This record gives sequence, structure tokens and C-alpha cells, in this order.
Amino acid sequence: MKPIKIVHLYPERMSIYGDYGNIIALRQRMNWRGIENIVENIEVGSKIPNDADLIFIGGGQDKGQVIVSEDLASKADQIKQFVESGGALLAVCGGYQLLGEYFISNDYGRLKGIGLFNIVSKATSSRMIGNIVVQSDIFGKLVGFENHSGSTEYVGRAQPLGSVIKGFGNNPTDKQEGIIYKNAIGTYLHGSFLPKNPKVCDWLIGKAIAKSGQSIKLKPLSDLLEKRARSSSISRP
Amino acid sequence: MRSLLAILAAKAAFRINRLTGTGGTSLPGMVAQKIDKDILKKLVKNNFPRGVIVVTGTNGKTTTTKLIADVLESNGISYVYNRTGSNMERGLITSVALESNITGRVSADVGLFEVDEAYMPKVCRAIQPNVILVSNLFRDQLDRFGELDKIARSFRSLIEELEATQLVLNADDPLVASLGYELESEKKVTYFGVGDYSGPKLEHDRTADSIFDPFTQEKLYYTQHYFSHLGKYRGKGGAFRRPKPDYQANNLRQKGIESIQFNINRSDDLVELKIPGIFNVYNAMGAFSAVKASLNLEDDQITKAIAGSTAAFGRSEVLNYFGREALILLIKNPTGLNQIIQTYLLSENDRLLVFIINDSYADGRDISWLWDSALEDLAHYKGKILVGGSRADDMALRLKYAGKKDVLAETNEAELLKLITKHTSKRSKLFILPTYTAMLSIRSQIVAGDELQKEYWQ
Repeated sequence: MKPIKIVHLYPERMSIYGDYGNIIALRQRMNWRGIENIVENIEVGSKIPNDADLIFIGGGQDKGQVIVSEDLASKADQIKQFVESGGALLAVCGGYQLLGEYFISNDYGRLKGIGLFNIVSKATSSRMIGNIVVQSDIFGKLVGFENHSGSTEYVGRAQPLGSVIKGFGNNPTDKQEGIIYKNAIGTYLHGSFLPKNPKVCDWLIGKAIAKSGQSIKLKPLSDLLEKRARSSSISRP
Repeated sequence: MRSLLAILAAKAAFRINRLTGTGGTSLPGMVAQKIDKDILKKLVKNNFPRGVIVVTGTNGKTTTTKLIADVLESNGISYVYNRTGSNMERGLITSVALESNITGRVSADVGLFEVDEAYMPKVCRAIQPNVILVSNLFRDQLDRFGELDKIARSFRSLIEELEATQLVLNADDPLVASLGYELESEKKVTYFGVGDYSGPKLEHDRTADSIFDPFTQEKLYYTQHYFSHLGKYRGKGGAFRRPKPDYQANNLRQKGIESIQFNINRSDDLVELKIPGIFNVYNAMGAFSAVKASLNLEDDQITKAIAGSTAAFGRSEVLNYFGREALILLIKNPTGLNQIIQTYLLSENDRLLVFIINDSYADGRDISWLWDSALEDLAHYKGKILVGGSRADDMALRLKYAGKKDVLAETNEAELLKLITKHTSKRSKLFILPTYTAMLSIRSQIVAGDELQKEYWQ
């Protein structure tokens, strides 16, 4: 069996809000099912390998995003091609913004995105901070913590990840959160996101396995602790 | 007149607080500030003839401040300081107002204050310190402080503004060290650092944030890497590099979890610090350097006091709980937790281990940071693990993904204490790792239990 390859994009500059938790969750939920997997870290200036099955990009500091935005331009075609051909992708917070059309930051002006997602984002003067609960058609309730000054809007056709039950989501008014395009998800949810939303984690793993050309049925796992952590998260103010 | 009223009100509020047993340290300051918004400035100005020292940074503020206080104490220098770690504007007002007479006079040589990073500009503009010590900048409660770069930028413009202020900076933290680079204002900068470290290291340290040249954003090259982003580094081209420390700790030798030894620069005198871990060596070196920079004391007058110093409130503090020895180790962010894992948990790995994770404002509402911590390094921890606090379930989940099964979660504090008793016997030792509000609460429960027991035996 060929190991499932996770590409972690820019871990040095884009993983400041507990985003490693997403990598940990992806790996462990494969490990517990005996599915071999490896992580390849790709930093500024290196190339994304052609045999990637899943790409993850987290959030960073504004300064880090400037450099990442420049570097992403050289990777744009490859990432889009990857998603068009069924690759699984998760982008959180700053990563979500930079995979859209553009992000206008407070201190560094307009940062070009790669245009994978039909979104535009703009920094605002107030931060959207707090526990968030989202209702998704595909995944049911999603829980997490958001912390962003960027306000995001859809441009053209876009499928939201879900609608906001508690918290802000994309922006203070729309009551929509995140985006799904093919097998790619963009979201503002930290928490970390995947450990507390195992349905999303398993969905991404399933898509990554398919991308690798293998067929493995995902065995159900006991998600008792996940359920408890979810319900205590939902109960917090 | 207004300041007189403010001081009186602060004193009165403190007494009422005492009587009602609420014991808050920010309320008196708040009352005083309501009456006179410039009260902090007035209280500090014209007082403290031997200077005002401010200690800031992500981790180690309370310990470093206590170390400096102990040095002052043992050298007969009188001082006022915010002992309880109440380090925002109001906490500072309380600490000075209580020591002042009604006209605002304080009969102390030195003002010594730890200051919350977010309150630095406001507080320092008011009190115009002689020395600012910045110990480190790590990722921390991002919901409160925002990003590291933003904090550094706010420090930088503050430093340029404060003409008469000296800086004491950690040479081994690139972002902190850079605060002394390319300043427009003429300024005395004292650097401290660690020369070598060969003690235990973590396999899953994911907390290195400032590993880029702050001026060019190119990646720094490290010849030595101690923990997080601390070490010996240089930038491409060499314009930015680790400054040579004025005071450097060498030959670090950890003795179990009891103490750590080192010497300063080329001195043969060993300093034996009763609080272990390389992070406490940084605290001690920061304290040493701040005292050297601001007061006329000999090295051994400082090191003797540092060696005699014990832990601060809730930071490596030993408490008796019904015959058990509980070591309380405050945790706030991934770097701090990692240092505790590295220093304590890896060397005594069979004790009962209790995490208490709250998510009140003072703890940081976001608990995502648990996922950045090196909990995978606990894979071989042999002792039983209990988790409590409002986010006990999240911590249990985190430990599950770190490979730890059989973790018991209990959100109710009284029930958690029962579990602690059940899983230990008399004379056994245990670790309690609480977040800030959890520390205040469990500490008072344990102290109350201890007193109850003493009364019973008397």
C-alpha cells in the first residue's frame, strides 16, 4: 500500500493558532485504522510534490502572510490542478483567505490570493473572536474557535461550509461560514478544527485515499471523547 | 486634591475587599482611577529615588520580578512591587496606593513592576521606567494579545518614545533582541543569554515562531537551539545576529527537579537556583541583568540572593494536600507547558498528573494552544493522568490524540479533589498543572484543606 501523503504548506509561517492539531487528527485517525501516512512540510521556495493526496494550510501572522502570498503565486496552478483532479484540501483562517481572490490587510495592503475559492477578504478594525457553532448540510454541527479581523464575502458561485448558529463566521452580517469547492474546504474555525469535528476529518481522509487511487473502507472509530469535547465546547459562552 | 481622594478610596476599597474576603487586587486601583485618571503617573512620579524597573514578556514575569525583589530585599533596598502578579494598570495602582501616604509619598527606594504585554505602552507612558526588561515573546493567548509581531512593534515605538529608559533584553530570542537594533534614539541596552544547554529536549516542540530575521524575513540559521525559538542564531549576510550577551549563563547542570546550576560569564562561582529548568535560568539572568543595569551592586550580592530565592505563587510551588506533596505548575501557553514537560514530567514520570484547563478571559478563551504543545512527549508517562476544569473534555481529547488512554476527566472541582485523594496515598507526590483561574481556585482549596487538617490535629 502506498502511504497517504499529507502536504503541510508553510508550517513555519502559517501555523500559529493550534493548527498542528489538524495534522495530528488526520494522522491519528489514519494510524488507528492502520492506514499508512506521511507528512511533507513545504516551506517558501520549495515545490509541492506531485504525489500529494491532501494539502493543509493554516493561519499565520500578517507579516508571514505577505511572504506566503508571494510564494503562493508560483504554486497557484498546481494547487488548482490538484483540487480539480479530486485532491483533498483544508485551509484555515489566513490560509482560507489566501486561497481566495485577495486579502486586503491592515498593515500590508492588498495580498494576492490564488483564486481557488470564490471569496474576497478585507481586514476590519475589530476582531471576531469567540467560540463558534456552525450548521453544515454535509457534516451536521461544526464547533470551533474563531479569531480573525478579516471579513470574507463570496463572489460569484460559492457553497458555504455551513450557516452560523453562534459566533461570526465569514463576516459579522451574513451568518455564513467557510466554503466547500469540490474536495477543498476553507474555514475560520480553529479549536483545533479537525479533532473536534471528526466527520470532516474522515471526509478529508476518504477523499485523500480516493485521490491516491486506492480503495479503503474507513472503519468507524469510537468517538466518545470527541462527542464530549464537542458538547462541552457548544455549552461554553 | 483629586489624587488624595483617589488614594483614600483605593485604601478603603482594599479594606472592604479584605473584610468581605473577596481579595481582588484590581478593584482598589479601578476605584482610584475612576476618581483620578492620572493617578498612576502621579503615584510613581517623585517617588522611588533609586529607580523604577519594569519586567515584561510572555513567560516568567512573576518569577523574574520575585527574583529581583529578593535581591533588593537581601541587600537592604526598600521597594514596592505588584507581588500577586496583578500586572495590568489597575493592579499597579493598587500596589503603589496601598504603600503610599495620603499625599502620595512612598518611602521606598525602588518601584518594581511586572507589566502585562498588552498594557506596556499605556503603563510605561505613565510611569516612565528607568529600566525595561523584556524576557521573551512566545505565542500566547492570541485572543487577548494578538500576534507577536504586533506586540514587538508596539514595544518598539514605545522604546523610541521613552528617552531616558534603559533596555535589558534576552539576546537568545530573535524578536526580543531585535528591539535593541537600529534604534533611532540613543539607548543603553544590556543583553543576557545562555551559552550552552545539553539537558533534555522535546521531540515535538512546535512553538518556534520568531525564526525569521525581523528585518529581512529570511530564515535565521541556528548554531544552537535550546527551546522554542531561543538559541544562538544569525541572519543571512550577518547584519542581524544574536548580540553578544553582557551576562551569559554557562555550564548549566540540572539536578533532578530540585535545582539547576550555572555560572555567569567566566566566574568560577556556581549559582544554584532552587527552581529548575533552563527557562528559570533565563528568569535568573534577566533578574541579574536588570539589577546590574540599574543598581550599584556586586555580582555576588545578586547571585547569593538569587540562589536563596524560592518559587513564586503558583509557579513551581509545593503545597501540602492531606499529607500529599502537590507541586503546582501554572500553565498558560504551549512554550510554558513544554518547559514544564521537559523539566518536570520527563524526569519524574510516575507521579499522579493533574491538568486543570479553564477558559475564562484570564486563561485565554481559546484552548487551541493545547494542540501546539508537546504532549506527544508524554507518550511514556507512567503515572495516572486526571483532567479537570471547564475544558476537561478538550484536554482528555488532546491526550487521546497524543496517545494517552485511560485519562479520567472531571469538570467538578470538588469531585476532582476526591479523585486526587483516591489516586494517591499519604506522602506521595503529584503534579498539578492548572491554567490561571484554575490555579487560583485549586490553590485556595488546597490551602483551606491544609488549614482544616492543622486545626483538626491541634
